[in-house]
Amino acid sequence: MRRQRHGIPMRIAVVVGTALLVINGTFPLVWMMLTSLKEENELIRIPITYWPEAITFRNYVQVFDQLPFARFMLNSAVVSVSATVACVLIAALAGYALGRLNMPYRRALLTGIVMTSMFPALVLLVPLYRMFLGMDVPLLSPLVAFLHDLGMTFMPTEVRTPNLLNTYWALIIPYVALSLPIATLILTSFFQLIPRDLESAALVDGCTRVEALFKVIAPVSAPGVVTAAIIIFVNSWNEFLLALTFNTAQNMRTVPVGITMYQGEFAFPWATISAAITVGVLPLVALILLFQQKIIAGLTAGGVKG
Amino acid sequence: MALTTPHAYRRPGFWRRLRSGNPTEAQLGLILLIPAALVLALVMFWPIAQVLWQSLHFERLNVPARGRPFIGLEHYQRMLWGSDMTWDVRHLLGWRLLAFAGAAGLWWGAARGLARWRTALVWTVIAVLVAGLWMGYHPGEAGRWNDARFWNAFSITLIITVASVAGSFLVGLPLALLANVESRWRWLVRIALLIPWAMPRVLVGVMFAWLFNYTNGVVNDLLGRVGIAGPLWLSRAEPAVWAANITIVWATSAFVGLILLAGLQSIDESLYEAAMVDGASRWQRFWAITLPLLRPSIAVALIFRTLTAIQTFDIPYAMTQGGPGRTLETLGIYVSNTTNSLNLGYAAALAVALFGMSLAITVLYLRWIYAED
Repeated sequence: MRRQRHGIPMRIAVVVGTALLVINGTFPLVWMMLTSLKEENELIRIPITYWPEAITFRNYVQVFDQLPFARFMLNSAVVSVSATVACVLIAALAGYALGRLNMPYRRALLTGIVMTSMFPALVLLVPLYRMFLGMDVPLLSPLVAFLHDLGMTFMPTEVRTPNLLNTYWALIIPYVALSLPIATLILTSFFQLIPRDLESAALVDGCTRVEALFKVIAPVSAPGVVTAAIIIFVNSWNEFLLALTFNTAQNMRTVPVGITMYQGEFAFPWATISAAITVGVLPLVALILLFQQKIIAGLTAGGVKG
Repeated sequence: MALTTPHAYRRPGFWRRLRSGNPTEAQLGLILLIPAALVLALVMFWPIAQVLWQSLHFERLNVPARGRPFIGLEHYQRMLWGSDMTWDVRHLLGWRLLAFAGAAGLWWGAARGLARWRTALVWTVIAVLVAGLWMGYHPGEAGRWNDARFWNAFSITLIITVASVAGSFLVGLPLALLANVESRWRWLVRIALLIPWAMPRVLVGVMFAWLFNYTNGVVNDLLGRVGIAGPLWLSRAEPAVWAANITIVWATSAFVGLILLAGLQSIDESLYEAAMVDGASRWQRFWAITLPLLRPSIAVALIFRTLTAIQTFDIPYAMTQGGPGRTLETLGIYVSNTTNSLNLGYAAALAVALFGMSLAITVLYLRWIYAED
């Protein structure tokens, strides 16, 4: 808000408030970084030290020595990037349909899609576990079994979906679905912002609708796609519950789950844990530094319209 | 010359139009929605249907001999009022009597046209929830209702929902107002707002467990410097609830702030100038212009926050695994614990309860928003 010139007390209040805001937002992470640079025995000293007395990087070595943390990072990266790409593609198609085309019931459809974001991941846990464990395919499995019983012995006795637990698929599939509502909402509102004349011009010039989509709309909507992609990526990188349950093999863990594995039953190696957290959130901090404005635009896409 | 065509003109049919490669907008739209519909059907709707069906069955994986018999609504009976409930007068004492009396008054008023039905309904629900939180939902050991653990989980979920949603708005609104001030440091403010949003919730829990550490945590050190003896944050019931709520508020107020910031930026500047010409004070401008125009944004943030608060799992789980005892065992953690103890049938029923709460809140809010329009 551009306001009139503030009085001196107001200015001081704003400066102090802003300082508090910045401290509030960054302090816990900064504290974790400071902790990660301290020796383990400095952490249990009373009174506690704020600045590390002797800066050490041993905790970071520990992070990679105790558990395959590099592998966790790779898993998280593979899963998050794949989920992001798939989700953006699907959501862009849906967003284009809901944002640009004259469809019956499109507000209702959008509301319906967005409403699915209230399905708690917790509720999906058990049925998805069963599904990924391998299950009968509706229609196909009974048919094959029936034909086998009829004497067509070249048919397999049963058809089941493959066991997807402890594979990347077990996480990619639900992550796409969990981020789809918010991604669709963001992309729909971005598509609505693109002027219609742009597309009409292409249609007049002899493009079909599909050609216009790829040649005209796709380049213009790139900023919206980037925004949606970042938010899907962050969601997928941070997901905990499904990753904890579906991928239990050590080398299939993702970063958030992996970090909770450093703590023992009673022992909390805080130095190592804080170093792991620092490394684990680096990609997120990098994204924030690079794309802060785009992320904010995306997060507020739903809020502005009400 | 036959100017008449042999057939009357017909609009090309649905499939012909589709095959010609130049579909109508509605057709194209339907086609483009297919992938999203497939994904949502497979990963969202099909599992929800399965959970509903599962909740009507007995299934304990550690008692495989009993199989998976259909038991109807028995799980819900056990969850809400127990299979051996008798309507004892004692059950009606305490808050129940008060809540029933208040609710009856409201409904009587509604019937007489003194209040609206919806108002009566909403206030009944609020009265029952608040009175229950205050005096307890469960009759306790003496009573004969069955699942005390469910009501405990329900209470703590409710406490966390009310406290953390209120807290995140109390913190989020000042954050938004500050972030809206033009300054050289705006980029820093944005980063400070985005970091709490982007941190994995589990890691936020782990981080704050360290900050709230009794002997070596920075919170107790700072409290000690101003002469307050910090409590055993995570191993006593009441401080643990405070610690969990503070953590959740830290993690979520930034999101509320971002949504409200967008709302603030869409407010027309000239309104403030006009108000200033009329001599309105800063407070008057805030109450008369800013807050009313922020209502849509507040509604959106409120919906998202309430839904995520009901599903609270990560932060209490990471901080204390739902402890001390079962103080922080939210509904989400209870579902997960029940699943881990292999009682899949009952876990499904609990999950349905969780889902039902989310659904009820969404419907309530949506009706409220549409009523505003």
